[in-house]
Amino acid sequence: MSRFFATGSDSDSDTSSQEEIIPRQAAPIYTFSDDEEEVKRVVRSTKEKRYEELTNLIKLIRNYKKIKDMSSMLTSFEDLQRAYVKALPVVQKEEGGQTPRFYTRCLVELEDFIIEMWEDKDGRKNLSKNNSKSLASLRQKLRKYIKDFDEDITKFRENPDQPDDEEEEEKREPEPDSDSDVPVKPTIKTMKPIVRDEGDSSSDSEDWPSDSESSSGSSEDEEKFTSMRERFLKRTTEKDDDEDKEKKQKDERRKERKDRDKRKLRREDEEDEEGEWETVKGGVAIPSEKPKMFAKDAEIDLSLVVKKLSEIVAARGKKRTDRREQIELLHELQTIADQHNLGTAIGVKIKFAIISSIFDYNPKVSDAMKPEYWTNLIERMSEMLDMLQNYDSILISESVTEETERFDEAPYRIRGCVLTSLERLDDEFIKLLKECDPHSNEYVERLKDEAKVFAIITKVQKHLEVHGSQSEVCRIYLRKIEHLYYKFDPLVLQFKSGDIPSDTVTSMQEMERLCKYIYAKDATDRLRTRAILSHIYHHALHDNWFQARDLVLMSHLQETIQHSDPSTQILYNRMMAHLGLCAFRHANIKDAHNCLVDLMMTGKPKELLAQGLLPQRQHERSKEQEKIEKQRQMPFHMHINLELLECVYLVSAMLIEIPYMAAHEFDARRRMISKTFYQQLRSSERQSLVGPPESMREHVVAAAKSMRNGHWAACNSFIINEKMNTKVWDLFYQADAVRAMLTKLIKEETLRTYLFTYSHVYDSISMSTLAEMFELEKPVVHSIISKMIINEELMASLDDPSQTVVMHRSEPSRLQSLALQLADKINNFVDSNERILETKQGNFFLRNANQGGFRDRQNFRAGNVQDWSRQRRDNRRGEY
Amino acid sequence: MAKFDLTSRMGQYLDRHLVFPLLEFLSAKEIYDETELLKAKLDILSKTNMVDYAIDIRRQLYPNDEVPEELKQRRVHVVSQLQELQQEVEPITKVMGNDEVMKTMENMRDSKTLINFLSKDYNFEIDMIESLHKLAKYRYECGNYSVSTSYLYFCMLVLPPNDKNYLSVLWGKLASEILVQNWESALEDLNKLREYIDSSPNHFGGNSLQLLQQRTWLIHWSLFVFFNHAMGRELIIEMFLYRPHYLNAIQTMCPHILRYLATAVIINRGRRSALKDLVKVIQQESYTYRDPITEFLEHLYVNFDFDGARQKLHECHTVLFNDFFLISCLEEFVENARLMIFETFCRIHQCISIGMLAEKLNMNPDEAECWIVNLIRNARLDAKIDSKLGHVVMGAQPLSPYQQLIEKIDSLAVRSETLVGLIDRKLKARNDIRWGTQEF
Repeated sequence: MSRFFATGSDSDSDTSSQEEIIPRQAAPIYTFSDDEEEVKRVVRSTKEKRYEELTNLIKLIRNYKKIKDMSSMLTSFEDLQRAYVKALPVVQKEEGGQTPRFYTRCLVELEDFIIEMWEDKDGRKNLSKNNSKSLASLRQKLRKYIKDFDEDITKFRENPDQPDDEEEEEKREPEPDSDSDVPVKPTIKTMKPIVRDEGDSSSDSEDWPSDSESSSGSSEDEEKFTSMRERFLKRTTEKDDDEDKEKKQKDERRKERKDRDKRKLRREDEEDEEGEWETVKGGVAIPSEKPKMFAKDAEIDLSLVVKKLSEIVAARGKKRTDRREQIELLHELQTIADQHNLGTAIGVKIKFAIISSIFDYNPKVSDAMKPEYWTNLIERMSEMLDMLQNYDSILISESVTEETERFDEAPYRIRGCVLTSLERLDDEFIKLLKECDPHSNEYVERLKDEAKVFAIITKVQKHLEVHGSQSEVCRIYLRKIEHLYYKFDPLVLQFKSGDIPSDTVTSMQEMERLCKYIYAKDATDRLRTRAILSHIYHHALHDNWFQARDLVLMSHLQETIQHSDPSTQILYNRMMAHLGLCAFRHANIKDAHNCLVDLMMTGKPKELLAQGLLPQRQHERSKEQEKIEKQRQMPFHMHINLELLECVYLVSAMLIEIPYMAAHEFDARRRMISKTFYQQLRSSERQSLVGPPESMREHVVAAAKSMRNGHWAACNSFIINEKMNTKVWDLFYQADAVRAMLTKLIKEETLRTYLFTYSHVYDSISMSTLAEMFELEKPVVHSIISKMIINEELMASLDDPSQTVVMHRSEPSRLQSLALQLADKINNFVDSNERILETKQGNFFLRNANQGGFRDRQNFRAGNVQDWSRQRRDNRRGEY
Repeated sequence: MAKFDLTSRMGQYLDRHLVFPLLEFLSAKEIYDETELLKAKLDILSKTNMVDYAIDIRRQLYPNDEVPEELKQRRVHVVSQLQELQQEVEPITKVMGNDEVMKTMENMRDSKTLINFLSKDYNFEIDMIESLHKLAKYRYECGNYSVSTSYLYFCMLVLPPNDKNYLSVLWGKLASEILVQNWESALEDLNKLREYIDSSPNHFGGNSLQLLQQRTWLIHWSLFVFFNHAMGRELIIEMFLYRPHYLNAIQTMCPHILRYLATAVIINRGRRSALKDLVKVIQQESYTYRDPITEFLEHLYVNFDFDGARQKLHECHTVLFNDFFLISCLEEFVENARLMIFETFCRIHQCISIGMLAEKLNMNPDEAECWIVNLIRNARLDAKIDSKLGHVVMGAQPLSPYQQLIEKIDSLAVRSETLVGLIDRKLKARNDIRWGTQEF
């Protein structure tokens, strides 16, 4: 574009160039300057092309260096080589066989970089496979290639600080001005010739050390730029006469820039003045201030206040606005308005402004606000809501435009959205909690505000139930649900056992009501999903196993949850964790295991539940990644105890796995039910000396071992003892019931294991002996054994008159079981043979039926069979 | 006994007219207070046009009161309206009287051609169908079910399936067929209705809730058919247990249907395989619904608690006896339930004392011995009785692994051989054909 521009612009084009279009201007200016060298135009254009190619590639390589993208760098380097070969004739002509300095520089830098990378062994290890491969090949290639440039490089190394080309410096010049990067490229391209003419030795180039890192100019701040620019400008004024024109233009530009700066400054000054003016006011007592806020004799009425308010609000978001002062100013306005009894509507409006300015106070979204502002915020919010509640005639909505706002008479209309502010407030609260150390008093202090936030939510809910639309009500309900679902309400359990009158409203009923509304009215799927998940969580928390299970099954969320957003997935994981715990409490061990297995399999339940970040081994997180992940974390008071979770999971796995192991001792196709549990077992087996168990895992492993041997008492004492009680079991609400349930299950499963393991040494066992051994009721023993017989797990039958279990002694020996397995496999083989034949030729029974008709087709098919059998034969040949 | 009575639960899914037989049955069983039942009947009748019947019941309830004027007026009104409607559909009734026309109509597949045919020859208009439908409904309300069946049959012939009245015609037809106890055609209608509901979710605008409701009704109405039709016992299992939609409806809307399903499975000796699935469902729903019949199955197949099963069997007696649908299969149920207990027993035990068995089966020992002897004689049981000790000794010896192995490999050789033979034949056939084609 620029070249096009250049040819089009003749000498008077610069006079016509408008001052307003500054970013564009950069291009014509420089092109103008090289109009003076029209002589070698044609030659230069090919050269330009080549050089541009080179510089672009070099730039790319620099970028890749910064992000350490070795594979891209390798390809770029190869391109660069190719481009240089192309450019070689030009270079020969122009530079007299000398390698251009910028090219040498690039090579040198690249070499340094590669060496550095190569040396940094730790860093190299962390590179991805692809990258490290590229690094190695790049290193080799570079070495080979550099040999050709040995001379140039040594020369360069002697004097590395010299600026290779001015292009970089020049490039930097337009940048601070230009809002778009359009002019940058043309500048580079067109500047090159000048630079070459000047040669490498510009007298004052020394005072600007060129370092390659800053060349991209991305990290500099404005001030640095201006200083550099000035220096540069100074230099340009010192340039030869033939650059006079350029200089002039630059001067012009500078002037103009100065003007703009001045203007800006003025504006800032204004703002500053305003700011200062306000600060003064903030300090002094109210009555004396009033004249400063408004003119001394001004009669304060509604319109004036509104005007003032909009004035203040207009400053919002501007760079130089002092946010704190804005808040104070608004408070001021509020008191004034109150003093003059200007009505509630304006009060609400001002409150709104205060709230949003408090939100604005914190410039970074990811950081929490300061506690003092937080308390302020809460107070304002609840004040505003109280006002709203007391006056029904106020309509707050986003659909009200600024123009249609009405503060003076009854159906007041105010622009704004309570719900959004509330949501923001709630988010801020969570952020605030996450900021605190969860084990400090501060956290507890903050957590006390939860009640206030909840009260505010309830107020907003009441407000919206009257005024809001359905979707708004859904949103506020979900907010409320999110404050409710994780809280355990002992009333619910009392309610269930009938200890309290049936008309009390427990959190269960509340949840039910809110969720049902959302199920019915919500139009977005997300709210509904979250409501269902929270609802299940709440049910599971309060031991409503069946309801929770049915909700899970009916919602079919398992199938679609992968496609939802991370925070919903986290909620799903949390729900699953609690569902697992609930199933465990209800002695549904299999369900508990199934619920928890997905969380535990990966070995990082902490991350899945968003209760902390784990260091990642494969690759570092980028800063942003980490920030995002941190935002997702749950505040501490909502955490699920991980040790409890793991313990429940391991114990469930033990109760399922150990009998299974005993039953399928010789089975080759035995599959692992729980990988994590196996890992624990194996790691303990690897130890040469096993001490008494210390941690929770060791306890479970020890219990598993004694269960395998049929010692139910030992197993029980490993699972339920002082240590485990304090660590795990006491965390349950009804810990004793859980323990009793566990003991019973341990007895039963140990009995099963015992029968599996030792049945081959018995001819018959008396059931009463078994009942005694395992301290179980006789009917229970009978039932367990019957079940095993029916399911053909135990080859035995009962002898009723003598109350014994008579073994059939028909468990296959090792050889027999192997033979059986072999038979199974052969069976499968024959089956698959038949299937192959069937698919190869279709259903042959059918074909036999209509053999007469389709000769052609038959022929075709027969051919297929032929092929197939040949193939088979080939295969067989291969086998032998 | 009122504890296990399901009439109130079922009533909400049944038509008014269908509730009558249930109420009649209840009053015969004398579980509830007679006057209360009468009141309930009266309440139901108030919305129908069976004014005479209502007056009758009123008399029974309040023998001293005069029949209120309002009822009498209503009677007059009903009669007059009936006549009015009758006149409107005069042409159709004429057509219906003509057997030949009806025959030709039945042979016509398409409702369009049928309508053309009718409007050409018998000055029939499509609006009449509307009135006919109304009349059928009216007749039905008056308790004149058989007439309404024939009207509705006509409607069904003429109306295209996407007509808005089609569904209600189907329901009406089913109800009237049930009430005239014409089980054969009721079953037909039931199937038609089910297909209509299942095949076209769009009729309900994709509204799954409504669909669920329709299915729930269908489930309840079908009970009448299933427990009266000869094939019903097979079909009920097929429909309730193996059609996921209906099983779903049962689980979410009306778990009490499990009683009927369980009974059907128990009395159906050929469908033992269904037991496993049924027990799973029962266990899943055990928290929302349980009654002696489901508990019996649970005791027997989940806990192997034979004492519990025996107790429940005893309770089942009374439940069945007082259930409108199940009373007819009481004998069968008891017999089969006993057999089930005994079978399970035999699978677990190798030696059982007759005394204990008799106790478990609710029989006295001699009777039990007789029963077992019969079983053995009928070759349904491989066992011997040790009469000295009073034991039954099972004959079946467990399979040794050796036998198992042989059994497994037994057929393999034969199968492979046939396979090879097949391939050989194909090869030959192919060569022959090759040769044949070359000739041409």
